[in-house]
Amino acid sequence: MKLRSAFLAITIGALMACLTGAAYAADSKCGANTGKPATGEPIVIGGIVSVTGPDNFSSSGLAAAAYFKCLNANGGVNGRPVKYLLEDDAWNPEQSSQVAAKLIRDQKAVALVGNMSFVDCGANQGLYEKEDIMVIAGVGVPRDCFFQKNYAPTNAGPRVSNTKAVMDVAQSYPGKIKRLVCIAPNIPNVGEWSCTGAVAWIKKQGGDGKIITFDPGSLDATSIILEAMTFKPDVISVGTPKGMAVPIFAAAEEQGLADKVHFTGPASLYNLDFPRAIGKYWDGKVTVDMELKAADAGTPDMQNWLAVMDKYGTASDPRDTFSQAGYLAARVTAETLLKLDPAKIDRSSVTAALRSVKRFESDMFCSPWYVGDGPRHNANHAGPVSLVKDGKLLPKPACIESEDPELDDARAYEKSIGLAK
Amino acid sequence: MTDRSLEGVSLVASSRLPLREIAVGAGALAVIYLLPSFLSDYWLRVLISVAALVVASLSVSLLFAQLGMVSLAQFGLLGVGGWFALRISHGLGAPFELALVTGGAAAALVGLVVGLPALRMRGLYLAIITLMMAGAIQVLISAFGFPDGGTGILGKSTGARVMMARPFLAQSDPAYFRYAVVIAAFCYLLVLAHLRGRPGRAWAMIRRGEVCALAGGVHIVAYKVWAFALAGFLAGIAGGLLAGGVGQLDGSAFPASQSIMLFALTIVGGAYSWFGPIIAGLMLRAFPALLNEFHVDGNIATVVFGVGLLHALMTAPQGIARQLADAFWAARNFFKGNGRNAA
Amino acid sequence: MPDFTPFLVSGLALAATYVLSAVGIVVLYRASGVVNFAQGAVGALAAFISWSIVERGGPESLSWLAGVTVATLVSLAYGRLIAPRLVSTDPITRAVATLSFGLILLGFMGYLWGEAPRRLRLPTDTMSFELLGVRVTLTRAIAFGLGVSVTAIVMLFLAHSRMGLQMRALASNRELSAMLGVRVFRIDGWAWVISGVLAGVSGVLLADLQRLSGQTLTFAVIPAIAAAVIGRFASLPATVAGALAIGVCEALLTPVPVIGPFRSATPFIFAVGAMLWMQRKPVFVYR
Repeated sequence: MKLRSAFLAITIGALMACLTGAAYAADSKCGANTGKPATGEPIVIGGIVSVTGPDNFSSSGLAAAAYFKCLNANGGVNGRPVKYLLEDDAWNPEQSSQVAAKLIRDQKAVALVGNMSFVDCGANQGLYEKEDIMVIAGVGVPRDCFFQKNYAPTNAGPRVSNTKAVMDVAQSYPGKIKRLVCIAPNIPNVGEWSCTGAVAWIKKQGGDGKIITFDPGSLDATSIILEAMTFKPDVISVGTPKGMAVPIFAAAEEQGLADKVHFTGPASLYNLDFPRAIGKYWDGKVTVDMELKAADAGTPDMQNWLAVMDKYGTASDPRDTFSQAGYLAARVTAETLLKLDPAKIDRSSVTAALRSVKRFESDMFCSPWYVGDGPRHNANHAGPVSLVKDGKLLPKPACIESEDPELDDARAYEKSIGLAK
Repeated sequence: MTDRSLEGVSLVASSRLPLREIAVGAGALAVIYLLPSFLSDYWLRVLISVAALVVASLSVSLLFAQLGMVSLAQFGLLGVGGWFALRISHGLGAPFELALVTGGAAAALVGLVVGLPALRMRGLYLAIITLMMAGAIQVLISAFGFPDGGTGILGKSTGARVMMARPFLAQSDPAYFRYAVVIAAFCYLLVLAHLRGRPGRAWAMIRRGEVCALAGGVHIVAYKVWAFALAGFLAGIAGGLLAGGVGQLDGSAFPASQSIMLFALTIVGGAYSWFGPIIAGLMLRAFPALLNEFHVDGNIATVVFGVGLLHALMTAPQGIARQLADAFWAARNFFKGNGRNAA
Repeated sequence: MPDFTPFLVSGLALAATYVLSAVGIVVLYRASGVVNFAQGAVGALAAFISWSIVERGGPESLSWLAGVTVATLVSLAYGRLIAPRLVSTDPITRAVATLSFGLILLGFMGYLWGEAPRRLRLPTDTMSFELLGVRVTLTRAIAFGLGVSVTAIVMLFLAHSRMGLQMRALASNRELSAMLGVRVFRIDGWAWVISGVLAGVSGVLLADLQRLSGQTLTFAVIPAIAAAVIGRFASLPATVAGALAIGVCEALLTPVPVIGPFRSATPFIFAVGAMLWMQRKPVFVYR
């Protein structure tokens, strides 16, 4: 694995030690759980993550790698081990298409699991559909990830997440939240798209919303905040990746806005470094949406994830929500593969089997997940919201169901397969 | 820097059939035809990108070698060409070739706009102004975003992304690779035709001395503009090739820093040699791909790049192509014996 | 008609960052003829070192000193070890060489620290005052004041001190200066030291005011070059004025309806306009 700075590892390890205290006692359970290593012919599964570049987006792939290692130590897929190949696409669509071709055409992977990349969904859509390979992503970010036939993320996506964040603020302060400003980077299929759900929702409640997009390369967070304030909002949603959010919060702190406006953000801000990075000023004043339940929930699957990471991951692998998503992606793939005849595992049978996943449950999800055979997949749209407090992110107990109007087709599909509430 | 104004201009017309050139050309064609079957799909895609960047590097070396002009905006023009190619392909459903040429033409126009203020400048000031243009193009591309299938000039699709349609003859990766190499060869021939014709001689005179060129009746502004337009056209073609290769382009992939890298590696590869752009293309795309193949941390790749670039700038100002050529000639003379010792 | 006054203040705040970076670029160019593309990267290194020391519990004042010292040493190392080998090449080669040095630093920082949400804090962050309805922290005011005062100090230094005279002589004609007894390498070294100090200080301040990110800080050098262009790479007061103009205009464009999203192109538009204005008389090159 790659060497990271030692103190960063120690910091994360220390933070996780508080949360994983009980997990050490638990065993890691993967797949058939035989306890015997798998020795048959390997099944090739790939994963594409974005490591080098503006941000390190690899926790999902690392979690999937850990799970597959655990699986291989526990009998594999009916005796066959999984050969998991994780590739870096460096936030570059050219490189993404190259590594996708490598995994799918050269290495003949039967599925891709644990993907986490800003550019993978857009660049490789054609290849995925042409080769009819399913991608059970850990994390999808751009709109493309949620509008493809062959791509099924276990996370909710920034648009759904943003909507939930704003809904939670409105529920916490009933009657007082009428005007929303959503700040997003000016990448059209990521930034602006991720805000339209929240704006559509608040307009449906009789309020008004404004989307402010900014150039990620620009150095002027104060002007963004001032522009937001000219709209006189009740809530500001900072719908940006965490690195870009910190200067925006710093500029808002400079203007002393924490007591004038409610601040919230989607799951892209859900990161253990985030509360410390924005500082004590924001204690108790910022809510962050979560796509999955909190790491310290103590429930069986959550503990299993932590146990798998501890035993088969490395200390520097982040234990964040994206890691949870990667674990879930690996788990659903493994359990689907276990149902197949081990001699007949090839791409078409795996694709068909994954498409027929209509109900996958875990205590990490707020509601059952599925893949289905629809034209697009956005199964995760419910989750709790957390509050920044005492340098940590404390989850609120209730699961919030996102009321984004764009999800209507997903809900119709869920009704047809019997998953509706 | 030594005066190379007469390079590329043949002094004596020859009626002899260039057998050696034909043999080399035929050999190259055979290699190109057979190469894809030996390569993994990963390397095939890498080489498609290399082919596109060879054309981009050619555009930089054209301006630098022929007119001594440094353009740090060529990668931005690649983005402009790619943008127009995507828009024509998505919006009008036009065939790939038409989209490619339109992208080239659009980039040529923008290249003109970049070139006009730069006509009176030289050296560092020219470089800086083109860098500023690249910065402006970067902001425009980021703000507009790349076409992804939505309708209209700026439409963004609300559903799945539409990918760029590949040429009718070259749908698969191996076929597209051969297609890209053919296009790159066409671009080389286009530049060669210019060099051997009037523009080449005019550029040589301008490079030698503007006063002499003016006295000789050369319309300096027109020929400089022509050079910028041609360079822009080549960059646009490269952008279209890249768009067809991947199927889409990302707005964040055309920052001003990439234009500087393109220029730097063209110089390192050798701006005065026909082989230089090929080396530059390989360094820009094949070398990082090689490092990624061995799972070297991308940051280490950046460091290696920087060190290599620095070393090349310090030790080989004529570029690697020149070093290779020198080595080739030295080896040849060694094997020929002690007879003739030219080189 | 949107209210522009708050954006005037945020524009001055933005200008502070441009002023700091641009002054460093111009000073080095005047002293050694090199456009330093690595200035942002060197500054980012100073900021990361400073942040790391504070993270491990070290004293804050020591952390800035350490950061700026490292920046100075790195800059001096480049100036004494690598730059002399490129002295005979043209300015563009030397500029691209600084870029490759910047890439080495960028890769090094990315490898060691990576990109994670971090905030570099200075004690002056907590003190602020209000100007036209917008709160401005003391850090920003210091950055602004520092930019202006450094400009004044450097101008005085270059104009009135012996070493400043030697630096100007070197930049004007290297061979002649060497013949006249100017100690070329030593003066060069001092020029890079000054550049390193300025880069380090501006890096720490920029990391506090904007973002502690290797990529962002490294490529923030490009808008800084735009401000330096307005000063013709020679005149420090013009550079400061240019940086002010760019910063204020960019911020003022924020509430403007159609042009707003494109406002980060302001430095480039200004630079191109300034160059066109400077080159309005035709010049023939007699060779």
